[in-house]
Amino acid sequence: METIASVVLDSTGVNSINELVPQETAPVTFLSGAQALMESLVAEGVDTIFGYPGGAIMPVYDALYDFQDRINHILVRHEQGAGHAAQGYARMQGRAGVCLVTSGPGATNLVTAIADALIDSTPLVCIVGQVGRKLLGTDAFQEADVMGVTMPITKWNYQITDANEVATVLSKAFYIAQSGRPGPVLIDMTKSAQIELMTKPFRYEQCQSIVSYRPRLVPKTEQVEAAARLINNAKRPYILAGHGVQLAKAENELRQFAEKAGIPVATTLLGQSTIPVDHPLYVGWLGMHGNYGTNVLTDQADVVVAIGMRFDDRVTGDASKFIKQAKVIHIEIDPSEIDKIIKADAPVVGDAKEVLKALLPLINANDFTVWRNEFRKYDAIEHEQITVPELSSTEGKIRMAEVIDMLSTKTNGEAVLVTDVGQHQMMASRYYQFRRPNSLVTSGGMGTMGFALPAAFGAQVGAPDRQVVAIIGDGCFQMTLQELGTIVQNKQPVKAIILNNNFLGMVRQWQQLFHQRRYSFVELQNPDFITIARGFGMDGQTCDARENLSDALDTMLAHDGPYLLEVVVEKEENVFPMVPAGASVSQIRLS
Amino acid sequence: MTTYTICIFTENTIGLLNRITIIFTRRRVNIESLTVSETERKGVSRFTIVIKHESREEVEKLVRQIRKIVEVMAVFGYLNDEIVYNEIALFKISTPLGGKSLDVETINKQYKAWVVYWGLDYVVIEKTGNNEEIFDFFGYLKQYEILEFVRSGRVAVGKTEKGLVEYLPEADWAYYL
Repeated sequence: METIASVVLDSTGVNSINELVPQETAPVTFLSGAQALMESLVAEGVDTIFGYPGGAIMPVYDALYDFQDRINHILVRHEQGAGHAAQGYARMQGRAGVCLVTSGPGATNLVTAIADALIDSTPLVCIVGQVGRKLLGTDAFQEADVMGVTMPITKWNYQITDANEVATVLSKAFYIAQSGRPGPVLIDMTKSAQIELMTKPFRYEQCQSIVSYRPRLVPKTEQVEAAARLINNAKRPYILAGHGVQLAKAENELRQFAEKAGIPVATTLLGQSTIPVDHPLYVGWLGMHGNYGTNVLTDQADVVVAIGMRFDDRVTGDASKFIKQAKVIHIEIDPSEIDKIIKADAPVVGDAKEVLKALLPLINANDFTVWRNEFRKYDAIEHEQITVPELSSTEGKIRMAEVIDMLSTKTNGEAVLVTDVGQHQMMASRYYQFRRPNSLVTSGGMGTMGFALPAAFGAQVGAPDRQVVAIIGDGCFQMTLQELGTIVQNKQPVKAIILNNNFLGMVRQWQQLFHQRRYSFVELQNPDFITIARGFGMDGQTCDARENLSDALDTMLAHDGPYLLEVVVEKEENVFPMVPAGASVSQIRLS
Repeated sequence: MTTYTICIFTENTIGLLNRITIIFTRRRVNIESLTVSETERKGVSRFTIVIKHESREEVEKLVRQIRKIVEVMAVFGYLNDEIVYNEIALFKISTPLGGKSLDVETINKQYKAWVVYWGLDYVVIEKTGNNEEIFDFFGYLKQYEILEFVRSGRVAVGKTEKGLVEYLPEADWAYYL
């Protein structure tokens, strides 16, 4: 992002650093809060906003009218869509996505996306309108305590009640959202602050530091040395790479580190695509529905190098039994994650890129072929018992794995996959052969149904040169399907695949396995998705026969513009392998 | 259950109390007492929070979560023997005409408490001390009618030679004279 030292303006837009000499005949008028907000966004390098106007944010929208040549505002259909679209955009761009919504319900509709962004460390700046200062706390129309509501789910939030605060608060917001462990920030801006004029010239200075907030990027030498010692003495070392690698743009450093040390690499769900699946050191992904070998052998490693991951319970299973035998090196930018779930023998606080760069010269070149081949044995078992049956069906409905596998082949593993939450998410992660970094956008920590469609749109806006494909379940799709309108209106060539089994599949699977098939309210009577898409002006088709799948995918990928492909899949299919909730990872089930 | 005193140094901003207490609420940790005031540095507030907890490890995690808040500059967790601490209590005692008269000398000399206000038929007595001392005094005063009793949260300073200046980030702080 371009660094702007400072910008000083009056309401004429003239750079007036040396021209602010008040003239008797034409006194200088200063910017309104809303204008200052727009100028601040431009100064920060923001070119895209996802938003939805309303009463309490109208002055900002009025100011935005004059900024259409500099800021691309995208009108979504629901504020949750704005939040998820901004997340998709942020993941692709590697910088904060920006949302602009009104007060009350506009703000509360954003809450799910904010919570999602916090747990998955996605930088967002959410600007929310608020009733005028004099009305605060009076239960005025569309007043909600947004500060109170969002306090536990934001990295930082602030209420602007004075137009003079705008520039300082905005620069601080972007700095906090994007630095250290990224996350969402929220700015609650009273309508009075939007309307009133500043009492001084506008000046924007990018925030470079905050006294009380000093994320450590460069690790302490002694921590790095301690980690290197453990690695150099390891017999069965194992790298667990998480989202933090991607956030730090440390994919190359991870590869160099792993290749020099010869250590097998597994990823978390959000860590997928940090290392190509065809890399010889890649052994699969971890977690409840991850690969067989990666899970089982976690409990046989003697040194675990966890990089930019937080030992989510979906990764650890029963944490009290997780990697008890191993020395744990935890590379993490957020100190509060150290020892939170798993005790670290060698914590290294810092940015993954900086830490890996510091580690590289200290580690010995090594080769753990024998240990790595252990994974291949389990891969073979998984391939035989899970993969082959799922990919070689000739009877019955199409299976989810077939769709993803074929899509992977047709896109050479180079698409950006945006998934919703559930069985299709796990299948997408299991069967898509990621070959490019930053290629999976999914709701990991929060598991937000409805994430994929708006996030895919945002990802496409953030990465216009890449093929973006959303993989969505029939239940998830109906949570945010109104964003089809946003996709069509903005002519974004998002391809969306609905894997339709007329069930809330993951819940149904659990009910089958753990509740004696008592299917409690999980069967859906679905609408005609393609008719709905066409109603929005989007092309699409339904595929319910195996022999038509290849052509249907080709049609979708070749289509010039957005496209919805509904694939009718097996109704009662289960995702395996599976670590039952609360079990240890070595108790992973193949059936 | 061990008593821990958590001292938090923060910027003096609106809403920060909420942000801090949410961390306790979310983990179902009860706050026994809480005191907030500005420190000798302008713009820097000091929270003193007392909790009881079985696990030191969990308290350490709590401290790290508090430190994560943007406006928080420093957090320290202490055991009782690592700090000098006190509380203040006020007792409103009924002194009706013809009633039992107060033994002010005992109150002053034995209990180190002071009558700070004389009303027409009541007095207000101030007592500083730790929990045990205050409740010991409470026990003594039970012979009179206690109309009101209020106790502050704990205030505490660490048993260290260091002052704020040594563990807060450097900045252009203004000091109260």
